[in-house]
Amino acid sequence: MSPAMRIGLPFAVVAIVLVAWEIAVRASHTQGLVPLPSGVVHSALALTEDGTLFSALGSSLERVVIGFAIAAAIGIPIGLAIGTVPVLDRTLRPVLDGLRGVAPIAWIPMAILWLGVRGDAALFVVAYAAVFPFILNTSEAARRIPRSLFHAAESLGAGRLLLIRSVVLPGALPFVFTGARIAMAFAWGSIIAAELAIGIKVQTARRAVAGIGQLMVDTLYVRRDVDALVLYMIVIGIVSFLIDSGLRRAQARLMPWTQR
Amino acid sequence: MRRSAGLRHFLLSWLEPLSGVVALAVGWQIASMVAANPTLVPPLQTIWGALVDLAHGDLVNDIVASLFHLAGGFGTGAILGLLLALLCARFELVAAVIDPIAEFLRPISAIAWIPIAILLFGVGQGVPMFLIFYASLFPIFVNALDGIRRVDPTLVRAAEMLGASRRLVVTHIVLPAALPAVFAGARLSLGVGWVAMVAGELVGADTGLGYRIEYFQEFFSMEGVMATIVVIGIIGYLLDALLRLLQSSLLRWSPAHGGSR
Repeated sequence: MSPAMRIGLPFAVVAIVLVAWEIAVRASHTQGLVPLPSGVVHSALALTEDGTLFSALGSSLERVVIGFAIAAAIGIPIGLAIGTVPVLDRTLRPVLDGLRGVAPIAWIPMAILWLGVRGDAALFVVAYAAVFPFILNTSEAARRIPRSLFHAAESLGAGRLLLIRSVVLPGALPFVFTGARIAMAFAWGSIIAAELAIGIKVQTARRAVAGIGQLMVDTLYVRRDVDALVLYMIVIGIVSFLIDSGLRRAQARLMPWTQR
Repeated sequence: MRRSAGLRHFLLSWLEPLSGVVALAVGWQIASMVAANPTLVPPLQTIWGALVDLAHGDLVNDIVASLFHLAGGFGTGAILGLLLALLCARFELVAAVIDPIAEFLRPISAIAWIPIAILLFGVGQGVPMFLIFYASLFPIFVNALDGIRRVDPTLVRAAEMLGASRRLVVTHIVLPAALPAVFAGARLSLGVGWVAMVAGELVGADTGLGYRIEYFQEFFSMEGVMATIVVIGIIGYLLDALLRLLQSSLLRWSPAHGGSR
């Protein structure tokens, strides 16, 4: 396949699919039930103009960042502890695996009860989803550090704290960063889920802080606008793409010696 | 001497994991005493009571419904992902068409599809099934394609030289060689699918474990919610353990059963 075709073909395919879609929907008179490509563009223009989309996106992203930070603050120490102390690993592993098996969204009723609907409940779900990648990757990273490094540092008289600070942490960092990337993806996925579930719960009450998930519920049940729903989905996809590629780039730049 | 060491080892292998679980339970019980509010933090005996009630009532139906959603969605997603991967590996043109579409859809999480799924299928079995299908499609497709492309070409050429038909090459060389990667993808997608299933049932279905949480919440029965959470955790753990077991027993021959995301 020629290079021109390699680049041109994907665009051509997408264009053909979109045009065929548009024609099919218009021909079958199902606008409003089935999303229309031109309608998606239209609602993109309308919603960016009045700022709804950006303010919703902003409040969702804010919760993701806070939840992610909480997860890191809890997950990395736990990961380091069970990665360096085998007894802790054996006692805590089944509990952690069991908790990991619970889908974060299942905690929604409890989280609403504990923290309220205003946004902290979503925060809990985000932190819950993001904490396990941190724990798993940090503990795996700590375990993979060559024993000889430990022995060398110990024989030179390093104490436990120094050992953690100057051997464990730098050695584990690349792995932890990979964990952070996964955690971020989980966090972004679960903020949407949490906001959807909360949005459906308190549909009637007007909410002060509405994220993109609540906006979707509103669009689904109140405004019944299919095109806007598809737009939100695309925005969600673009955001997760940007987050992931940004973190990948940061990883390549900050830790050039790592492969992944 | 040796015998008692073995016994000690055996006891420890049970006691250590158990002590973690006990610590969690004790912690929860203390929290419930401090909170002194059975709704906010239901004490263990209330959760146990709810669990027993659930087991006498709808538990089996819920679990069966959830597993049915999971099997339907995961099965179709895995089969389609595998087929697409085979086609993409075989025909360059198919890959050129599928790749951009897959790359476009992949960052859109299954969760983001919930509103559209509710609109398309209505509240019912369709929503969780579709979400699981969508969640399992990409990890399996990406990993299978990766695995198939990494199959040692000398093996394929050797088989062809010995007169193997195209079909025989696929079933006896390509698929087995790609199996470790496919399994890695399957474990990933089962994890994602499990989460998508609970979310889908919670907001867009009238059966399954996720729906049961929603149901208990309607009646403000927090011990019921907690009992369901316990069940979800146990089944989620067992599913992953089962797949891990399958992976290590089926792929014992493989030096590294790894894969990439």
